[in-house]
Amino acid sequence: MWWIKNAQVIDPAQNISGIRDMLIYNGKILGLKESYTTEEAEQLLNSAAQGSAEGDKTSKPNWQEIDAKGMLLFPGLIDVHTHLREPGREDKEDIRSGSEAAVRGGFTTILAMPNTTPVLDQRALIEFVVNQGKKAGLARIHPIAAMTKGQQGKELVEMVELTSAGAAAFSDDGKGVQSAEMMRLSLEYAKLTERPVVSHCEDESLAHKGAMHRGLVSTRMGLPGIPSSSESVMVARDILLAEEGGGKLHLAHISAKESVDLIRAAKSRGVDVTAEVNPHHLIFTDEAIAAHPYDTSYKVNPPLRSEADRAELLEGLLDGTIDMLATDHAPHTWEEKTRPFDEAPFGISGLETALAAIWQYLIIPGKLTPEAMVKAWSLKPAQRFNLPGGSLEPGSAADVVLFDPNHVEKIEADRLVTKGKNTPFLGQELQGFPMMVWVDGRLVFQRG
Amino acid sequence: MKWTRKDILHLEGLEQKEIEFILNTAKPMKEVLLRPIKKLPTLRGKAVFNLFFEASTRTRTSFETAAKILGADTASLAVAQSSVSKGETLLDTARTLEAMQPDVVVIRHASSGAAHFLAKELKAGVINAGDGQHEHPSQALLDLFTMKEHLGSVAGRKILLVGDILHSRVARSNVWALKNMGAEVVLVGPPTLLTPEIKAWGVKTSYNLDQELPGADVIMALRLQLERQQAGLLPSLREYSQLYGITAERLKRTEKPSLVMHPGPINRGVELESQVANSAQAVIEEQVTNGVAVRMALMYLLMGGTGHVVD
Repeated sequence: MWWIKNAQVIDPAQNISGIRDMLIYNGKILGLKESYTTEEAEQLLNSAAQGSAEGDKTSKPNWQEIDAKGMLLFPGLIDVHTHLREPGREDKEDIRSGSEAAVRGGFTTILAMPNTTPVLDQRALIEFVVNQGKKAGLARIHPIAAMTKGQQGKELVEMVELTSAGAAAFSDDGKGVQSAEMMRLSLEYAKLTERPVVSHCEDESLAHKGAMHRGLVSTRMGLPGIPSSSESVMVARDILLAEEGGGKLHLAHISAKESVDLIRAAKSRGVDVTAEVNPHHLIFTDEAIAAHPYDTSYKVNPPLRSEADRAELLEGLLDGTIDMLATDHAPHTWEEKTRPFDEAPFGISGLETALAAIWQYLIIPGKLTPEAMVKAWSLKPAQRFNLPGGSLEPGSAADVVLFDPNHVEKIEADRLVTKGKNTPFLGQELQGFPMMVWVDGRLVFQRG
Repeated sequence: MKWTRKDILHLEGLEQKEIEFILNTAKPMKEVLLRPIKKLPTLRGKAVFNLFFEASTRTRTSFETAAKILGADTASLAVAQSSVSKGETLLDTARTLEAMQPDVVVIRHASSGAAHFLAKELKAGVINAGDGQHEHPSQALLDLFTMKEHLGSVAGRKILLVGDILHSRVARSNVWALKNMGAEVVLVGPPTLLTPEIKAWGVKTSYNLDQELPGADVIMALRLQLERQQAGLLPSLREYSQLYGITAERLKRTEKPSLVMHPGPINRGVELESQVANSAQAVIEEQVTNGVAVRMALMYLLMGGTGHVVD
């Protein structure tokens, strides 16, 4: 049982942003108010303990007290887009190391993409990921199942079966679904499950063999370009399909301003569509690849685009067009990333640095409020993917982050617990880190 | 002036006086090259490695000849046939190379940025002999050298670069160098090979060759990779040569004794009509000779040469 005192609590679900005390007991949030006297806390405990095995009214309650003055306390972040690489590529990451990275970065729930080897398209594989997550016992791990068998884009997976096994959504993420008919069928069939279909929007004929955003920088550097249209034409297509036939559409890693415009218009027409943006697309542009010539830690798909795109993505996040933040945590081995730029794989390792990066680059300069951040990274994902968490309401699961907005840490490869050291922040100092993280009322991480 | 750069990776960002310095160093090099006994002791005991990941007989031979005339020992690693097919990474190749204590490494690679990558890893000077679609500095320097031999200065001269601008490292290096030296550069090609972003390079772009010919001092035709047509970027070589092929008829429209240049190898009948390639206005073989001289200058400077070459 925990008694966290004098924290700056941010909970958009209850519209709270102020100094509060929080009590955690038996895996749940017991109480949240301005402050508690010892008697009040004890009383709450006694009424909660009635009928509970843990209850022992005779002895004095053994509170673990924390003075959280100057700290923020918010619901654990929920990341709907991570690649944990297990099964198959445990050299890049496994569910254990990914879970450690998650809680170290402030994430209490993460969704794992199915583009593993083999692809997560059968009950046994979904259950394997669920069980590995439980075995790690840190963040809550929910697999996203493939949308089509083998992510081949030809036949639907058994969506109902996989939902019952624990799939949180369906996606062929890693590549775009090239057949419009296949996407239409998925959106329609997935209605049986009430789970979203997550679309990685990328038209391969347009993206071709590109290595970075098609624009001025790519032509100067002689790198083959990935045009914005490779994303936006598929965003338009998927929106129209969802509008015509229904279905819950979630658009992964939006990177282009044209996509933001399309989503904004779709929402105003009432289409059931949500969208996510990755921190790196809000922080960097393609100029970063010129400033750090051919540095593969900036190579990511969709690519870092222009300043106009970056600005529009932030605008979209602020006005709610873009619902949520997601890391697209994509760990790779050192040897894969130390190849020439156009041969290296796409992806940025995000779980451990994403929150601090958003804090430093957007929240400290006042471009984003902590409230909007928590809403986009906890409440909205919980709502859209129907997950526990996202709120500090008494009675809900105690997935909580205690965050120090002043803590500064240098990002160094040997201190990262993820196997993927492929982050552009390597060697840099970032400010704003989780100090303590609870999942189900258990302290799963403490910054040492 | 003293040369301070460790590597020659790109011409974008190189200062005008640095370019002049290289070209001035190349002049006495060319004299040496034209002597009956072409050998200097200048780089005796120095090691130059040619690391060619893309097949290129002419560029590799040019660098090798340049190094040998200066007295350096050369080794050519035809990597395309050896370690890469065994799965070795560029990083490991670089480390192996480093262990052999080279003084200058010349690299040709299909990936843009490969020369930067090698330069970061090696203590030796690195010369980019063409990286992907990025740059080919020694080619643009030899082009500039050739132009200056004929025109004196390129400042204010109208220079057309014709063809596949989008995929051409030769075009990029030439644009940065020529712009820097005050030339009026016009890029000419079909829209699929001269995409809108290229406008931001800060030189004129045009789809219409015939309109741009009047007054041109130099016409540089770029090599067209024939696979561009298979990739759908061009309807046919026939239509390409009708629009952008340099013919004797077209050459007259400049109303000047314009120079015709080509980085080679030529697709006769596509970029250049044979009659043009064989004419006195074509300086394509001079480009090759000057290429050796310019590469001698680059190696000489990277190995600490000061400017007194011949005596």
